[in-house]
Amino acid sequence: METALHKAIELIFSGSALLEDIVWVTVRMSLASSLTALLIGVPFGVLFGSGSFPGKRILVVINRTLMGLPPVVCGLLCYLMFCGVGPLRHLELLYTVTGMVIAQIILITPIVIGMMEPFVSGIYPDIRETARGMGISRIKTLGLLINESRYQIFSTYLMALSRALAEVGAVSMVGGAIAYKTNVMTTAIMNFTNMGNFTTALALGIILLAGSLVINAAVSLMQGRAETWC
Amino acid sequence: MVLRNLKKSYNGRCVLELDELSLEKGKIYAVIGANGSGKSTLAKLAAGVLGHDGGRTEKPDLSIGYMPQKSFAFRMSLRKNMLINGDDAQRAQELLGALKLGHLSEAKAKRLSGGETARMALARLLMRDYELLVLDEPSSAMDIESTLLAERLIRDYRDRTGCAVLIVTHSINQAERIADEVLFLSEGRLIERGSPEKLIKHSENEITRRFIEFYSK
Repeated sequence: METALHKAIELIFSGSALLEDIVWVTVRMSLASSLTALLIGVPFGVLFGSGSFPGKRILVVINRTLMGLPPVVCGLLCYLMFCGVGPLRHLELLYTVTGMVIAQIILITPIVIGMMEPFVSGIYPDIRETARGMGISRIKTLGLLINESRYQIFSTYLMALSRALAEVGAVSMVGGAIAYKTNVMTTAIMNFTNMGNFTTALALGIILLAGSLVINAAVSLMQGRAETWC
Repeated sequence: MVLRNLKKSYNGRCVLELDELSLEKGKIYAVIGANGSGKSTLAKLAAGVLGHDGGRTEKPDLSIGYMPQKSFAFRMSLRKNMLINGDDAQRAQELLGALKLGHLSEAKAKRLSGGETARMALARLLMRDYELLVLDEPSSAMDIESTLLAERLIRDYRDRTGCAVLIVTHSINQAERIADEVLFLSEGRLIERGSPEKLIKHSENEITRRFIEFYSK
């Protein structure tokens, strides 16, 4: 174990092309999917948290259900859409990074909405009443709401990124874990472990954990800042 | 100005039933009454921030400023909070100074105490000139010194703009100090209105007298 760990650390700093490619694909996919999920999810979270319209409760319940969508089910649905007999086969997204990004967007967007909705519904009544009391326009009130939510938006983004980095079920089904093409850290760890190449698997695990540590530290820092700087 | 159809029910319970309320420009009105008498509901309906039963509250086309019972500070400095409701930086500083918050203009508004937040919220509302000012317990979180400063500021604002001011308060003393006319609500109905002298000291209405006696103890 100690030898494997030592070798894994050596491998991380050796400049391995395979490792670099896996990390690069992972970063590219995770950034694309988490940013897109944020861009889609935040407006919906704000709408669900601040709006009042027929069917809102049903949509919130559906979203909460989707927050628990098993990644393999999401992967299966995307696979069936993108495969040779699927309705979206002409897009040729199966076994591509774009396909993996789409699968992750489906998984992560409900989480973004689910993190924004209760936060916004908690602060919006006071903001609305105060803004209406001053005769401020709806657009300006929305701007004030977004400003008030900025730390929550950033924390939500970091959680989305964290989820994207650690996800394995959907990306392995849609991406196929093809070396130098769609292999990301989580799928590569599985593959290398199955092949008995524990050194590379461990090296990827260390990088993944370090990434997760950085993200969680940032989330904690943001929460601290939100409490002190207001 | 006459506001009509001020009616509101929650879960079938009528909390306010007022056919009309006439207010005169340049006057300060204090609304008093026990908890649940409909004071805040009246303020919200008059300000137009609350939907109500059976149509809309009819009111003349007025610019109305409203300060809710719960003061809210936006996540920015006091100065920026002030400039949400206007762009006159000098006026913002004057208003903050009048409420002894001038030295805190660059401080973070979320770090203010409850009383300071209420003062800032009042100053922020007064950045703009309204024809009707509705204040829901503006000084409930303030100490007596701040309360007196706030009352002076409200009077100055009224004198300058000539607006009508409707203040909801729990304090009989405050109503007596600041109001030109006092409105007494009980169980969603306007029981009596009149000058502070008449209503607070010489009311002939039994319900009003009992309320004043109890709250003056």
